Amino acid sequence: MKPHAEIAEVWPRDGRIRLVGRLHGLPSNDAAGTAVTWQLVLTRRAHPDQRLRYDAHLTGDRFEGELPVADLAAADHAAVEEWDIHLSDGETELRAGRRLDDIRGKKKIFVYPEQRTGNIGVRPYYTVKDNLSLECRTGGAA
Amino acid sequence: MSDRRTLPRVRYLLLHAYGRGGTIRTVMNQANSLVAAGWDVEIVSAIRRRDDIQFPLDPRVRISTVVDLREDAYTPPSGLMARWRDRHRGRLLDEPPRYIPAGEFGYRYFNRYVEDRLIAYLGALTDGILVTTRPALNFLAAEHATNGVVRIAQEHMNHGTHKRDVQKRIQETYPRFDAVAVLTERDRDEYEELLPGTRVVRIPNAVHSLDQVPASPQAKIAVAAGRLFPQKGFDMLIPAWAKLVETFPEWQLRIYGSGEKKAELRTLIEEHHLYNHVFLMGHTDRLDDELAKASFYVLSSRFEGLPMVMIEAMSHALPVVSFDCPTGPADVLTHGVDGLLVPPEDPDALADSMAKLMADEKLRADMGVAAVLTASSYGPDAVHPRWEALFTDLHGQRHPSGAAAKGQRA
Repeated sequence: MKPHAEIAEVWPRDGRIRLVGRLHGLPSNDAAGTAVTWQLVLTRRAHPDQRLRYDAHLTGDRFEGELPVADLAAADHAAVEEWDIHLSDGETELRAGRRLDDIRGKKKIFVYPEQRTGNIGVRPYYTVKDNLSLECRTGGAA
Repeated sequence: MSDRRTLPRVRYLLLHAYGRGGTIRTVMNQANSLVAAGWDVEIVSAIRRRDDIQFPLDPRVRISTVVDLREDAYTPPSGLMARWRDRHRGRLLDEPPRYIPAGEFGYRYFNRYVEDRLIAYLGALTDGILVTTRPALNFLAAEHATNGVVRIAQEHMNHGTHKRDVQKRIQETYPRFDAVAVLTERDRDEYEELLPGTRVVRIPNAVHSLDQVPASPQAKIAVAAGRLFPQKGFDMLIPAWAKLVETFPEWQLRIYGSGEKKAELRTLIEEHHLYNHVFLMGHTDRLDDELAKASFYVLSSRFEGLPMVMIEAMSHALPVVSFDCPTGPADVLTHGVDGLLVPPEDPDALADSMAKLMADEKLRADMGVAAVLTASSYGPDAVHPRWEALFTDLHGQRHPSGAAAKGQRA
């Protein structure tokens, strides 16, 4: 299995989305490297050059990071936009997802509340490959 | 095999044999066991809305339908007479039934057309044993299956749960049955009092198998299962879990099932910020596997008949935390031995009892072992001979010579 960022908890609350999990599959000195700063990286799927970065807090291999949903508003926002989530130390990019448990069909089972920012509704979701992304919908609730 | 000719045909009339409910499942288990024991068994579906049977069914069990409501079963009429008949059918499909009280939980599945066809079907039966499986079907069988059939009314729900109009019809019509079969001791008492002179037997439903993978008490997963519907009380279970999540953050509650109240339950999960701990798992075809992953089972129902998934969970060595609702949990569980009984509809008490199990792995292990022992009296081998004995006895009373002949051969 490729290294990835295993998500344990997703907290869409109070205008923010907080993510908690573990870096999985890295050689141990990489994950726990003291001087390295890990970041939560959001990539706009339709414009991969557009990225948002937030410092993540690491304790051993456990990470925690959050972002304000207001940052996801974009001037050229399409009706539906997706942002894919990675954990990165500047060199290695680990896709965030949930692959180590027994639950199949996460997209329909792990369902999170939507938060509004402007006229956009933001909702974290698992892709069919069990990766974590954000869906932004313009207008009414999904 | 020579014996088979002496056994009467047993017909089970189900509202919808192609559905997924608990009654359907247990009737199929009964049918499978009887056919394996050499009986001639037929399952009759009052209506049919699906192509396939949803539970394992022995291919020797015959299956037939009275009213096929599938879209593609409908052939547009050609000819004047056929068009008239079709219009008539359409009118009857829109008219309410005449003999089913509105308080019957299955009322919405009935209409004049379904009712007329069922009456015609029942009136044409002249032999064998007919087992009807819910009040609406029991009422029709009591009035119309009158040409020599041995009749048994099955009650899968407890008496107190029925609405007033249904209870009244039960009292009027059930004395015509050769036997009324109920699931719990409490129901046997109530029906015996209600129907003096009528034979009331208690035969619990059987689990489909006792040969199950035992769960590990180390798992930090609680499991519940049932239709997402007010009866199952998941709207009380979710707030109860909210009280535990801080003390037991690593535990998950998995609720299996689909149903009308999914959106409301999802909202409740969001209101209590439980989206990382409580999961609506949807329907699964592999409930056995899922039960085996948990370390206890929760039953939060407002009422039950005899909760079979709970007993199945026990056969996986899962202890149970259950509301002491009518009926079933108190029949099955011994408080403090194989599970914890909780005052009904009290979410705080439910939370306290779940906490007790979640805090104590050894308690889960001990109660799990006791649960397997309890479940064993609901195994197919313990239950199905009782049906055979009842059928043989009733048929023998109706046809004394046949029974004597069979007695000589035996």
